[in-house]
Amino acid sequence: MRSNSSPARMRRWAAFMTAGALAVTVAACGGDDQEAVETTAAAVETTAAAVETTAAAVETTAAAVETTAAPAEDCGEPGDKGEINIFLIPSPSSSAIQSFIPAFEEASCVKVNFSETPYGEAHQKQLLAYQQGDGQYDVAQFDNTFLAAFGAAGAMSPLDDYLAASTEYDISDFSAGQQEYGKYDGQTLGLTLSTEPMIQWYRTDLYDELGLTPATTWDEYLANAKALKEAGKADGTLMGFGPNVSWWWMTLVWSFGGQLYDENLNPTVNSPEAIAATAYLKELLQYAPEGAVSANGDDVMFKFLSQDIGSIVQYSGYYGFVKDPSFTEFGDAIGTAKMPLGAADITHLAGWNIGVPADSQNKDAAWAFLEFVLGKSNAKAYLDSGAAAIGRTSITGDAELVAANPYLELLSIPDSSRIERYPQLKVWPEMDVAIVQAVTGILSDQTSVEDGLNQLNEDLAPILAAENG
Amino acid sequence: MDAGLSVAARRSGRRLRRRVALLTLPSWAMLAALFAVPIVVGVYLSTRSDKIGAFVPGRGVGLDNYRRDVFDSSFVGALATTLIITFIGLAIQLPVGIGLAMLLHRNLRGTRLFRTALLLPMLLTPVAVGLMWRFMLDADLGVINWLLDEVGLSRIGWLGEKWAARVAVALVDSWQSIPFVMLMTLAALAALPEAPLEAARVDGATSWRVFRHVTLPMLRPVLYVTLMIRVVDSLKLFDIIFILTRGAPGKATETVGLLTYNTGFNFLETGRAAALGVATAIVTLPIYVMWLRAQRRTA
Repeated sequence: MRSNSSPARMRRWAAFMTAGALAVTVAACGGDDQEAVETTAAAVETTAAAVETTAAAVETTAAAVETTAAPAEDCGEPGDKGEINIFLIPSPSSSAIQSFIPAFEEASCVKVNFSETPYGEAHQKQLLAYQQGDGQYDVAQFDNTFLAAFGAAGAMSPLDDYLAASTEYDISDFSAGQQEYGKYDGQTLGLTLSTEPMIQWYRTDLYDELGLTPATTWDEYLANAKALKEAGKADGTLMGFGPNVSWWWMTLVWSFGGQLYDENLNPTVNSPEAIAATAYLKELLQYAPEGAVSANGDDVMFKFLSQDIGSIVQYSGYYGFVKDPSFTEFGDAIGTAKMPLGAADITHLAGWNIGVPADSQNKDAAWAFLEFVLGKSNAKAYLDSGAAAIGRTSITGDAELVAANPYLELLSIPDSSRIERYPQLKVWPEMDVAIVQAVTGILSDQTSVEDGLNQLNEDLAPILAAENG
Repeated sequence: MDAGLSVAARRSGRRLRRRVALLTLPSWAMLAALFAVPIVVGVYLSTRSDKIGAFVPGRGVGLDNYRRDVFDSSFVGALATTLIITFIGLAIQLPVGIGLAMLLHRNLRGTRLFRTALLLPMLLTPVAVGLMWRFMLDADLGVINWLLDEVGLSRIGWLGEKWAARVAVALVDSWQSIPFVMLMTLAALAALPEAPLEAARVDGATSWRVFRHVTLPMLRPVLYVTLMIRVVDSLKLFDIIFILTRGAPGKATETVGLLTYNTGFNFLETGRAAALGVATAIVTLPIYVMWLRAQRRTA
C-alpha cells in the first residue's frame, strides 16, 4: 500500500516544491520594483543598486577619508563620547552615508547607529516619531516634498547657526539659489543630500545621424522629436505621461511662464500658460513610444536606456545608470544638456535633504556627523562612494570630475535661472493626486485640455484652502 | 426530592455556564481587541479632524468628514469604478473557473499536473502578480501586445486607456482568482451524488442538458457562496491596482480602496480616511448579509 502511494506522494511533493520555489522567486523579483514604484523625484535610484554598492563604498570612503581628514586625536573608543541614531531611506545617498560611519566613529568616538526605512513608509514613520518627541533620531534623511510638513510641525531643528559657524561645511560653496533648497519659512531645516535638477538627455548617435543638436527651446525639442520619429530612426521623446506626470507637467507650466497657485493660494492651473504647457505635453505624446501614456518616472529612464528614443527630460539623479552596462548598451551614446527654455528660465530642482530632528538629544554630535560626511573636505570622497552628486561649486567646477561625469556641470545652476522646488505645502500630496488624475485624463482623451484644467482648478481650490486650515 | 434535584441541576447548570463563560473569556477579549475596538475607534476617528502630520490634537468635527468626502463625486465615482471592475472580473472568473473545474473533474490524463499548474497563481502575492503583469501589459515591450501583433490584431494601450485599464485590472485579478473558483467548484462536483446524473444520462439527456438542468442546480449553493466571497474580495481589491495603474488614467481605475488609501496614507488625513472606511462598510453591508444567508443555505 505504502509503495503504491509513494510515487503519487513524490509527485505531489515535487509539485508543491516547484510551486513554492516559483512563488518565492517571483515575489523576490518583485521586491525591487515595488520600491521603484514608490519612488518620487528625490528617490530615483533603486535600493538594490544601493545595497550592492555599500560594501564597496565603505572601502573607497575609508581610503579617501584617510587622505583628506586631519589626523584624529585619540579620544577613546566609539561610544565614549555618546551616540547618535540616524534615520535613512534606502538609496545610494544612504549607502554613501553609511560608508562614512567607521571613519567618523574613529575620529569622534561617537557611536553611530542607523536604520533604513523604505521610502513608502519613511515620512509617516518620521512624523509619528517626532510627534512622540522622545528623541528617537538625531539625524534624518527626507524627501524635499516633506520639508513643508516637517517645517510646519516644527519637527526639524534650524541649522542656520551651525551653518554660519562652520567653515568645514562652507555653505558659500553652494550657489545662492541652492542655499535655499532646505529652507522652510526662512530657516534651513535640511542640508542638501543630493542635487537633482531636471535635465535634457539625448542619444548622440541618433542626433549625429540626423544632424540634430540638443534643444535650447521647447520648440526645438519638439522639432527634434518630430524629425526622429518621421525619419523612422527612433521614437522622438518620452516623458512620464502616467502616474508621475505631475513632475513633467509642473516643469512645463513653470517653464511656459505659469504658476500652480498665486500668493493667496488660489489655484491658477487654467491660465493660458498652463493650457499651452498641457497642450504641448499632449503634442509630445505623438512622438513618444506606443503606450507612453502610462509611463511612470522610472519607465522614462529605463526605456530611454534600453530602446531607441531620441531624447528625454528627466532628473539628473538617474545618471548612475548610464554608466552601468548592466542597465544599458548605449552608455557611450548618451549626452546631457540643460533643460530647454520656455517663456521663463527655470530649473526644476529635486533631491534629498538631511537634517536634525527638533527632539534630538545630541544635536551637536549630529551636526558634527553631517559636517563630517557632507563637508567640503570629504565632498569628493562622498561622490566617489556612489552617492548622487551634490551641487557644490567645488564639485561642479572640478575639471577632472566633470570630464568623468559631464552632467555635473548642469548641477551648477546659474543665478539667472529661477529654481522651482516641489510646492512647499503640507497639502502637496493631495494636490499631486488631483494633478495626476486631471492630466492623465487629458492625455488619455477623457477630456479636453481646457475642460480638464478648469476642473482641476476647481478641485485644487478646497485642497489649497486647507493649507492654512 | 424532585425539587431538590431541580435545584441541584440548576446550580450545576449555572456553574457550567460560568465555567463556559470563563473559558471563552480570552476568545471574547481577543475578538473585542481585534475587531470591536478598531471598529469603534474607526467610527470615532471618522468624526474627528485627526491627521498623522499634525502636531496639534484633532478635534471633533461631527459629520463634516462624511459631508466632504463621502457625499462627493470622488467617492461615488470610485464606488462605481469598484463595481464596474468587480462586474468585469466576475464575468471572467465564474465561467472560466467553472469550466476548468468541469474539465478537471473528468480526471483526464495529466489532470494532476494541470490542476497543480492552475493553482499556482493563487499562491503568489498580489504585489508580485501586479508587477509581473505590468511588464506583460506594457504597450511597447509587453508580451501581450507582442502576441496580439503575432496574430494580426491591433495593439492595445492596456494601462493608458480608460476601458482597457479597467479590463486589464479585472483580467489580472481574475488570473489570480480563477483557481479559487475552480477549487470550490471542483470540491462541490466531487461531493455531488452520482444517481441524478446517471438517471439523466439514461433518460438520454445530452452532456449540456445534464450540466444545465442537473449539475448546475445542485452546484448553486456552493456557487452562490463562491460568488459572494469573490464579490467581497473584489470590493476590497487594492494591491493589484496600486501596482498596475495607481488609479490612472484619470480616475478610470480609482477604486474605493485606493481612494481611502490615498486619503489616509498619502494625504495623512486619518479622520477623513476613517469616514471613507465607515461609508464603504455601510455601502457593502448588504453584500455581507447576502453572504451570510448563502452560507446558511449551503450549511
